[in-house]
Amino acid sequence: MKLDVRLFAGLKCNNPELPCFGKNEFDLEVPAGTTISGLHNLMNLESKYPLINLVNGIAQKDDHALSHGDRVGIFPPVGGG
Amino acid sequence: MKIYRVNMSDLTVKSEDVPEKWRRLGGRALTSAIVAEEVDPNCHPLGKKNKLVFAPGLLSGTTAPSSGRMSVGSKSPLTGGIKESNSGGMAAQQLGRLGIKALIIEGMPEGDKFYNLHVDVNGVKIQEETELIGKGNYEVIDRLSQKYGSKIGVITIGQAGEYKMSAANISVKDPHGYIRSAGRGGLGAVMSSKRIKYITVDETNGPGVPVADQEKFKNAGRVFAQGLREHPVTGQGLPTYGSNVLVNILNEAGGLPTHNFRMGRFAGANKISGETMYETILDRKGKPTHNCHAGCVISCSQVYNDKEGNFLTAGFEYETIWGFGAVCMVDDLDIIAQADRICDDIGIDTIETAVAISTAMEGGVIPFGDGEGMLNLIREISKGSYLGRIIGNGAAFAGKALGVTRVAVVKNQAIPAYDPRAVKGVGVTYATTPMGADHTAGYSVATNILKVGGDVSPLAKEGNVELSRNLQVATAAIDSLGFCLFVAFGVLDKPEVYQAMIDMIDAKNGPDAVKDDITELGKFVLTTERKFNEAAGFTKADDRLPEFFEEPVPPHNTTWDFSGEELDEVFNFVEEKNDYGKVDNKEMQKVNTNEMQYV
Ligand code: SF4
Repeated sequence: MKLDVRLFAGLKCNNPELPCFGKNEFDLEVPAGTTISGLHNLMNLESKYPLINLVNGIAQKDDHALSHGDRVGIFPPVGGG
Repeated sequence: MKIYRVNMSDLTVKSEDVPEKWRRLGGRALTSAIVAEEVDPNCHPLGKKNKLVFAPGLLSGTTAPSSGRMSVGSKSPLTGGIKESNSGGMAAQQLGRLGIKALIIEGMPEGDKFYNLHVDVNGVKIQEETELIGKGNYEVIDRLSQKYGSKIGVITIGQAGEYKMSAANISVKDPHGYIRSAGRGGLGAVMSSKRIKYITVDETNGPGVPVADQEKFKNAGRVFAQGLREHPVTGQGLPTYGSNVLVNILNEAGGLPTHNFRMGRFAGANKISGETMYETILDRKGKPTHNCHAGCVISCSQVYNDKEGNFLTAGFEYETIWGFGAVCMVDDLDIIAQADRICDDIGIDTIETAVAISTAMEGGVIPFGDGEGMLNLIREISKGSYLGRIIGNGAAFAGKALGVTRVAVVKNQAIPAYDPRAVKGVGVTYATTPMGADHTAGYSVATNILKVGGDVSPLAKEGNVELSRNLQVATAAIDSLGFCLFVAFGVLDKPEVYQAMIDMIDAKNGPDAVKDDITELGKFVLTTERKFNEAAGFTKADDRLPEFFEEPVPPHNTTWDFSGEELDEVFNFVEEKNDYGKVDNKEMQKVNTNEMQYV
């Protein structure tokens, strides 16, 4: 299935095997049933802290199973105001 | 410590000892207590009965990290209610170290002369001002720094203040000569009504802020600073990208108000995001990390240069970028930076101005997305033209003048950068805070979107009334201590940071501090403010959002669906003897502050 992936605030795909290596906004083909943490692992995302995952604009936990066409935004902890 | 009363009617200054009831207050708690006790809630905000109160936070001027905030309080010409607006810059620490608990400006001179105040270890001097009248804030700061040296503190109003516009702010010099602002609620107009163009502060030989237990204070300060440095938001996100890191996350979450609050996502978001801004700043040899006062360990501010590499603006905040960006549909960061620069210079609140311009776009004055047209409208403000005055008096005023009903305000104050239908916790804050729509008054965005201090859904009602209440209480306390609100990211998330904050207050106040409970302090502040508004004639109907928020907002298509009864639960801890909403104004000319002391 295909995902619309957007990585923010310094995150980027760290897997040299993937066509999206080094990028932060791309479409990615993943096996059906991939979860958010599966996606993190696939991209070798590195973060000392838990990441914020917005799937179609709604925050989801790491074990959430993604669906074809999902827009997935991933952020390190950020804040402001 | 001392309180100075500057009487502008007879141009005299009195120094007073701090009464016991105010000894343990600072910042917002003190400005609100003084305004509630001394200002007639029914007075004209720009008349002689209103007062303008400056108070450094309780810990401002000490070594407590990120504690250099100054509160400014008054009755607001924008909302008609009580107002506290706080700012970074040098003045809070300087006033604190001069032993000044509060500076109360009262009365009003006859005639149309302007004055300045000079504050130093000998007290406050009132002098006639002629040279800098009509000048912008950058020139005022520059000229005064040349006259007194770079260490002089400056609190000033620009042209918008001189014209007594309801969106005019009070600007405060930062250590680099740039500008921070007590932005909201038109306090610049109040300063102008007192005929004061600027205040200079020279802290030489000041006695410093008394701290009862220095050792304990220092240790707690160390833990506090360490905690903030280690927290990912205050240690990494904010210092790198500034508050503008929020554009992308609010856009993804569908809560970035766009096209005058019609949509929650902006197609141009990436072009105005914190990430783009960071790259641009590095490219042009600006400074991505900069602090607004000495001793801030977060340093969220930045210096943004123009294409030629010359200084354009500093302290370029998310709310400003959202306002002149998404809500007006402008996706050019350089135009937005120019808008910020002009607003800082003429001394006007960027949130209020941006929403007023969005309202003017709604009314057909210029089309949405017209960046140059937007800059021209801001220039009209500085000229004081009729069109400029329509914008400079804020969004509600502009809406009336232009026959626009889609106006995003609560209590006449513009709604900032988070759509209340997609970030419901902050919507509850907008509706109910005594300040008029203000995200900082109870920043539920932290828990709704950023997942700091817990996780409450931004799209459902559940938990959001309680969240907003708790955050409004905590914020009122933080604003009183002099801390920058951004310390809350660490305080909410880490028990040891919270404890270090309590330890600093204890160590400052000493062994006779009976109950340094910050929840009690926050409740005291909110109760005081709410009572003032009640006496000023506010009713429950003022604690509601504009009706257009009943429309669904894409992408989530959620609506504003809180009932009045649900919103009225926010202040369930305030005993409303006079039943807020049914108050007999004539009987209640003054707030009875004797019943609500924080001692
Ligand atoms: S975090 Fe930013 S706004 Fe707060 S005190 Fe530091 S520099 Fe100023």
